Amino acid sequence: MSGLESVLGVVEEIAAAFITFYLVALGHSIFEKAGLLDLAIDGIFFMSTGAAVLGAVVFGTPIAGSLIAALVASLFGLLMAYLLTALPISHGAVGLSLQFLGYGLGIVLGYPVRQQVGALYAFCYSEEALFEMVGLALLLGVLTYYLIEKTKLGAAIRASGENPHAASALGVNVLATRLVAAAIGFAIIGFGASFFPLLWQKYWDLKVYTLGYGWLAFTIALAAGRHPIFLIPMAFLFGGLVEYSVTIQSLLKLPADVAKLIPFIGALGAMLAYSFTRLGRIFASPQSLGKIYYKEEKTL
Amino acid sequence: MIRLIVLKRTRPLKYGRLTTVALALAAGILLYTLILAVIGVNPLLTFSIISASFISSGVVKDFIVLTVLGYALLVAFKGSLWNIGAEGQFYMGAVPVIYLTTIVFFTTGSVSIIQSVLVIAGSIILAILFGGLWGAIAGAIKAYAGVDEVPVTLILNYVAYYLVNILILGPFQGKYVYGYKRTDLIPEAYQLSIRVQLAPTGNPVIDGLLSYVRELIIFGWWVLALAMVVTAVWWFFNKTSLGLKVKVLGSNPDYLVTAGWDVRKVTIATFAISGGIVGLMSALYLLGYLLRLEYPIESQTAGYGYLAILVAWLSLLDIALVPVSAYIISSLTNAGISQSSAPEVKQALAQAGFAGAELSFRWIMIGSILLTYSVLRFLSDYEVRVIRE
Repeated sequence: MSGLESVLGVVEEIAAAFITFYLVALGHSIFEKAGLLDLAIDGIFFMSTGAAVLGAVVFGTPIAGSLIAALVASLFGLLMAYLLTALPISHGAVGLSLQFLGYGLGIVLGYPVRQQVGALYAFCYSEEALFEMVGLALLLGVLTYYLIEKTKLGAAIRASGENPHAASALGVNVLATRLVAAAIGFAIIGFGASFFPLLWQKYWDLKVYTLGYGWLAFTIALAAGRHPIFLIPMAFLFGGLVEYSVTIQSLLKLPADVAKLIPFIGALGAMLAYSFTRLGRIFASPQSLGKIYYKEEKTL
Repeated sequence: MIRLIVLKRTRPLKYGRLTTVALALAAGILLYTLILAVIGVNPLLTFSIISASFISSGVVKDFIVLTVLGYALLVAFKGSLWNIGAEGQFYMGAVPVIYLTTIVFFTTGSVSIIQSVLVIAGSIILAILFGGLWGAIAGAIKAYAGVDEVPVTLILNYVAYYLVNILILGPFQGKYVYGYKRTDLIPEAYQLSIRVQLAPTGNPVIDGLLSYVRELIIFGWWVLALAMVVTAVWWFFNKTSLGLKVKVLGSNPDYLVTAGWDVRKVTIATFAISGGIVGLMSALYLLGYLLRLEYPIESQTAGYGYLAILVAWLSLLDIALVPVSAYIISSLTNAGISQSSAPEVKQALAQAGFAGAELSFRWIMIGSILLTYSVLRFLSDYEVRVIRE
C-alpha cells in the first residue's frame, strides 16, 4: 500500500512539470512533422507564459490565461508557417528571430499585470485540477496521435514534412496543410506553456526567459521522435529531472545552479543517445525538415 | 485577377546586398518603433534617440566587442556552421581569467611588471583555449553525432551559464565583496584599460571628437586586438588551406567529401577557431572593462553572444562589412539603452507598467531586425512580380 502511495506521490510531484513539457513538446512535434523547423520554441514558450499571466489576471481565471496563450502562440505559428512555405527563406533564421522577439513580447505581455497583482496565486489552477489536467494532456496526446496517423489531414501533414514537392504533385495543398499544422501545433505549445506559471510554478517574472525550458521541450520531442505516445515517458523523465534535481541538490547540499544544470546535461545526453543508438533510425526526423520549399515559379 | 509570384533572379540585383540590408534595417527599426508606440512611446522620440546614438562616442566599447565577436561567428558561418554559442564561449573564456587574476595571483598591492605581463598574457591565452574548447565540443557533437549545431550550441550556453554560476558561488566567491555573490575585482596590476583625462575645451564639436579619442585610448588594447583579429581572419580565409576548406564546407560540402578531406576535422577546427576568438574578446572584456563576474550570470550578460549573430548575419558574411554592421548594431543597442533612460520614455513605460523591464526591449529590437532581415534577404536572389491575369 505504502509502495503504491509513494509511486502516486512521485507522480503527483512531477505531474505539473510533465503537463508543461509534454504539451509543449507535443505541439512542437506537430509543427515539425509538417517539415517546418521550429527554432523559435524557447521564445514562443516564454511569450506564451507571459500571455497566460496576462489572460489569467485580466479575466480572473486560469482557463482564460491558457486559452489566450494558445491563441497568441497560434498566431505566431501561422505567421511562421506562412513565411517559411510561401517564401524561399531560411527556417533557422526566422525561428531564431522569433525566439528573440518572443522573449521581448513575453515581457511586454506579462510584466505590467504581474507588477500590478504581485502574487499570481489567486489566478492559478487549484491543486484539485492537477489530475484533470494530466487527463486533458494525455487526451490531447491521443487525439494528436489519431490526427497524425489515422486521418487524411495527418497523412497530408506527414507528406508535407517528408517530401512537399511530391505531396503537392499528388494534390496536397502544402501551404494550407502547414498552416493548419502550425495553428494546431503552436496552440498546443501555448496551451502547455501556460501551465508553467499557472499550475506548475504558480509564479512568473521576466527572468523566466533565461530558463531555457523551451529547449528542453525541443530535446524531448527530438529524442522521442516527435511521436505523441513516446513523448509521454520522455516528458515524464525530463519533468522528473527538473523537479528532482532541486531535491537532489538540496539533499546533497550542492549549489542551486547544479539543479539548473542537470536537465541541460540530460538534454545533451538524450541528443547523443538519440544519434548513437538505434533510436536515431527508428525516430528519424522528417526528410524535408527545415528545407526551403521552392518551386520554380510560385504564387505568394 | 492580380497575383504575386516569386521568381529566381536570372542576373544579380545591382547593389542587391546593400539594398537588402538597408531595407531590413529600416523595416526592423520601423517594427521596433511600432511596438514601442503601442506601449505609448512617441515614434518621433524613438527615431531621434536612434539617430543621436549613431554619433555618440558611447558606442566605441560595444563596437569593438561586437566587431571581434562578429568575426568569430563569421568564421563559423562561412562554413555554414551556425555557432549560436558565443554566449557560452564568452563566459567559459572568462573562467581562467578570473581564476588567474583573482585567485592564484591575487594581490592588493603592486607587483613587478614581469608578473603583470605574464599573468595578463596567461589569462588571454587560456581564455582563447577555453573558448576554443567550448566551441570544439559543439563541433565534435555536430561532427560525430550529427546533431544540428543550433540546439547544441544553445544548450551549451545554458551549461556554461550554470557552470560559471557554480564557480562564482563556490571557489570564485570574492573575499572583499561584503557578502555579495560576486568575484573579487581584478587587481589594478592586471587591468588592461589605459587611464586618460582629456580636459573639455567648451567647443561641442571638438569635445565630441575628443570623447571618441578618449574612448579609443581607454580601449587601446582592444583596438590592437581588433586589428589582429581582422588580419588573422583575412589571412585565414585567403591564405590557408583550412580557410579554403571552411569556405567549401559552406558552399558545397559534398565536394569536400569527394576530394577526400575529413569534414569532421574541418567542422571541429572551425568551431574551435570561432570559440577561440570569442575567448580572446572575453579575456579583454574582463581585464579591460567588466573586472569581475557577478551572480547570476545569465541575467547579468549584455547578450553580446546573441548580438554578434546579428552582426555576422547583417554583414552578409563579408569581411569588410563586419565593422559596418557592428557599428550599426552597437548604435542601435545603445539607442535601446539611452531610450530606456530618457525621462519621457521612462515615464511612458512606467505608466504602461514597464518600470524595471526597460532593457528587455533590447530583445524586441534584436528580434524585429533579425526577423525583417531573415525574411527580406530572399529579395537579393529572388524577385517578386505582379502578374495580371
